[in-house]
Amino acid sequence: MIYSTVILEEILRFANPTESVWIESKSKGNAKELALAFVMAPRFISKTQIINSLNVIDGWSWQDYTLDKLVRIYIICLISEKDGTDQLNLLFDTAEINEAVALHAALPALKNPDQFLLRATDAVRSNMGSVFESIAFENPYPSLYFSELAWNQMVLKCIFNDKAIHRIYGLENRANQALADTLSDFAHERWAAGRRVPSQVWRLVPKFMNENLHRDIKKLEQSDNPRDILAAQLVIKEIDQPGSTKEQWKELELPEPIYQA
Amino acid sequence: MCQNPHQKEINPSHFEGSTEEKATANVVDHDFMNYTQGMKFFDPHMHMSSRTTDDYQALADAGVVALIEPAFWLGQPRTGLASFKDYFSSLVGWERFRSSQFGIKHYCTIGLNSREANNEALAEQVMEILPLFLQKEGVVGVGEIGFDDQTAAEEKYYRAQLEMAKEMNLPVQVHTPHRDKKKGTERSMAIALEHGIDPKMVIIDHNNEETVKSVLDQGFYAAFTIYPFTKMGNERMVEIVKEYGPTRIMVNSAADWGISDPLAIPKTAALMKIKGIDVEIIRQVTYQNALDAFAQSGQINESDFIHGLEIDQSQKFNGNTVLRGGQAPRINKNSMIIR
Repeated sequence: MIYSTVILEEILRFANPTESVWIESKSKGNAKELALAFVMAPRFISKTQIINSLNVIDGWSWQDYTLDKLVRIYIICLISEKDGTDQLNLLFDTAEINEAVALHAALPALKNPDQFLLRATDAVRSNMGSVFESIAFENPYPSLYFSELAWNQMVLKCIFNDKAIHRIYGLENRANQALADTLSDFAHERWAAGRRVPSQVWRLVPKFMNENLHRDIKKLEQSDNPRDILAAQLVIKEIDQPGSTKEQWKELELPEPIYQA
Repeated sequence: MCQNPHQKEINPSHFEGSTEEKATANVVDHDFMNYTQGMKFFDPHMHMSSRTTDDYQALADAGVVALIEPAFWLGQPRTGLASFKDYFSSLVGWERFRSSQFGIKHYCTIGLNSREANNEALAEQVMEILPLFLQKEGVVGVGEIGFDDQTAAEEKYYRAQLEMAKEMNLPVQVHTPHRDKKKGTERSMAIALEHGIDPKMVIIDHNNEETVKSVLDQGFYAAFTIYPFTKMGNERMVEIVKEYGPTRIMVNSAADWGISDPLAIPKTAALMKIKGIDVEIIRQVTYQNALDAFAQSGQINESDFIHGLEIDQSQKFNGNTVLRGGQAPRINKNSMIIR
């Protein structure tokens, strides 16, 4: 699929005539000119919010993107189609925050997505919240290309930073034993420090129960936090009837305070 | 940036406040924030890469809502292009993020500083990558550029960067030299005019009593760096504002890796208030004039920071929970227990 065509259609739903002309004129440039257009986009394209977004790749959502971000993604696709890998690397190396966010969000639509694996895992290493989220959330790239080790690192970092794991695409499909075990270790560390983990993270364990995890679920059942109790009940139900609790976990997807005041 | 340990004496001021004023200023030394309640500040010159998160916290507490970080040298020369590239990237990336965590909007100016202009082989490479960075969001000018030793190489790259600024319609933040300042300042202005740059697009930095008149007379912005020992003291600053009024004058801290004070602007505002300067004049020299000068880049939107950063949800500067609460988690510095 030529993603740029579909993305352009979506852009034109929101762009005003002046913006459309700018996009049209820039799209004819070579890779170097396109790279400069990528950098300059916010000077010419508004931050209008994309609503009722189309969905061109499973798990890739443009919902709530700003228009300048989607235009940047469009330009990245064009650079990729013109084999402008050098220019893409230059953009990654010199990226400002919003540029980095657009670059990572665009990874699933690139011509050779697997070539950018190191960029993606570097984004997971980033301490800039929005850069981490640009690869982790509403982005199918990690589920398609990450090794189990890289995947687990991303999910754990997400939990460690008290971010909402349900925004990770492919969470269920890529769940694995090693992740469940490490989650248990991590929860023990938090408990030792008098802290907790968000209740919804226990959705990662039902398929991988062992003695250790059973003890954890028992502990959750006896918690005085109603959300932990619900999480324990859902794990037990899911073990009994796989696939039966999907909707119920949503109750635990609301933000919750992790640290006691 | 000057670190001469033998030059500790404060330059004698041409202006002196009254004895009573001086006495008041000494008494309130420790609670200056009582005098700046409700004020907001814009510091157009801070090298935050060299500062700690404690400084960001203190800035936020003192009412600094936005700042500009000019590119400068790091205390020792860089040896390759990659270090420049990574430094410029950090000004638009990591440092911007770090600042946002404290609710402070971070802008920067990008340029090849005068000292490193003297390594011509490297300077040529740096000039190649400058346009890419100058076009980035939130880059509000070319800076800090100008003269240090006033060598031929410094002049060459100062001129080349003025042309870049002109072409991209960006303001220029001009560093004036520590040594031979008066001549260096005049020369910097003359060259800018020679290149056909509108003086209101040029911020001449690190002024003092000797340079201010000519800078203002020729239509440039005059910035004053409140920096212990080597540049301006804030008592002298008060006298300058009394003498020249607020037009095209701005104050900055130039806080960096030297003995400098990131709270120089709020402290100077407090001193101005104590010494009877009108609140509106204080607002102009500690906020509005810097904003107006650098907003000529088209890259500053006051509504992004005037009510705090968390308002701009579309930008999602750091989508984590730290900012949503409006404040980073606070540590009680006096507590022995660390949790």
